[in-house]
Amino acid sequence: MKRREILILLLLLIGAFITIFFPNIKSQENVIGEKELLSEVNKAGRYASTDEIANAIINNDPSYILIDVRDVKQFKSYTIDGAVNINLDNIMDDKYKDYLNTEAYTVVLFSNGSSKADQVWLRLRCTDHKGIRVMKGGLNEWYKTIINPQKPIDNEMTAEKEKQYLFRKQASYYFTGTQVSSGVTKKKSSSKPIVKRKKKEVSGGCG
Amino acid sequence: MGPLYPDFINPELNLLIGFLIGIGFGFLLEASGFTNTRKLAGIFYGYDATVIKVFFTAALTAMIGLFILHYLGWIDITATMPTTFWIPTLIGGAIMGLGFIIGGFCPGTSLSAAATGKIDAMAFIVGVMIGIFGFIFTFKDIWENLRNSGKLGKVDITEWIGIKEGLFIFLFTVIAVITFIGFQKWQDHWKKKLSQDDINDLGI
Repeated sequence: MKRREILILLLLLIGAFITIFFPNIKSQENVIGEKELLSEVNKAGRYASTDEIANAIINNDPSYILIDVRDVKQFKSYTIDGAVNINLDNIMDDKYKDYLNTEAYTVVLFSNGSSKADQVWLRLRCTDHKGIRVMKGGLNEWYKTIINPQKPIDNEMTAEKEKQYLFRKQASYYFTGTQVSSGVTKKKSSSKPIVKRKKKEVSGGCG
Repeated sequence: MGPLYPDFINPELNLLIGFLIGIGFGFLLEASGFTNTRKLAGIFYGYDATVIKVFFTAALTAMIGLFILHYLGWIDITATMPTTFWIPTLIGGAIMGLGFIIGGFCPGTSLSAAATGKIDAMAFIVGVMIGIFGFIFTFKDIWENLRNSGKLGKVDITEWIGIKEGLFIFLFTVIAVITFIGFQKWQDHWKKKLSQDDINDLGI
């Protein structure tokens, strides 16, 4: 064997030996830096307002996937139209991968308040799920702002607040199915179909 | 891929880098004798093991290099992991091997050889093109079911065996190096049986 060949083989063996001390690729995938996580936790963008969700449902926006993380009993008693129920404990199940590993949809988690949904968000973010949001204030806020909106006090009323109140009022009629004089007469919407997105497979070869 | 592309290397620069690497690759193929069909086919007849040694070295360099670059955060190795379809892979591999031994080239070396003016390489490229376009235009009618058969998903051998990825790379490298040395000895043994005229005739 030539000296050059021996040198190449030695370099390969040394390189391969070094890789023994590297962590597995899969375990690296699950790691998000402390700073990065902290910055994402504090980002306002990780929350979706109840107005945004109501607007998306009313306009039949297909890009939203709503996930109710409460237990089945609570889900059956009341939830938001079109929401899917994935309990906090089952969130990492393989069968729900298609809902959560998606870049084409905005996945919004909600619970009664924000804390349970926040827990799920943290768990998902630490396992490299991206673009997932939480409905701010959960169903309590949903009830307070969309189902039963309160008129702002007269001396606090601004044009913007009035516009928001009008929208909420109309949304309330939309979701509760009550006929109103303003002309919003839509019946309660049926469940929004959830389209599972298939990820494109990577293919390759040599030659 | 990872942060190298598109963060540091934009699509235009990417094309230029690809072009320069392509020229370098073609030059090295020619310089190492890979445009000689007899040298390439030598592995099948037992008088030259250069092909197997080069492919082993290339595979090991890519495996170790990609793993280290992924660890450094320069590329995303998970983006390169294909789904395994074992039936079409087996059939495609057999066809590729047959083409290799009959034609004396693989697609890359045929282009290099054609650039040096070899007429057999040009004929080989025409055959490759007929194969490619023939496959494209008959894909829906003939090949689609075969192409999608035997799907195993993303197969990860280290997960299957249950060992660390780095350890697998090291063990694989050790086996490859032993094979490399074995082929070298095998080549030396057969070369002793060839006369100088034979060696000159084969251009090895």
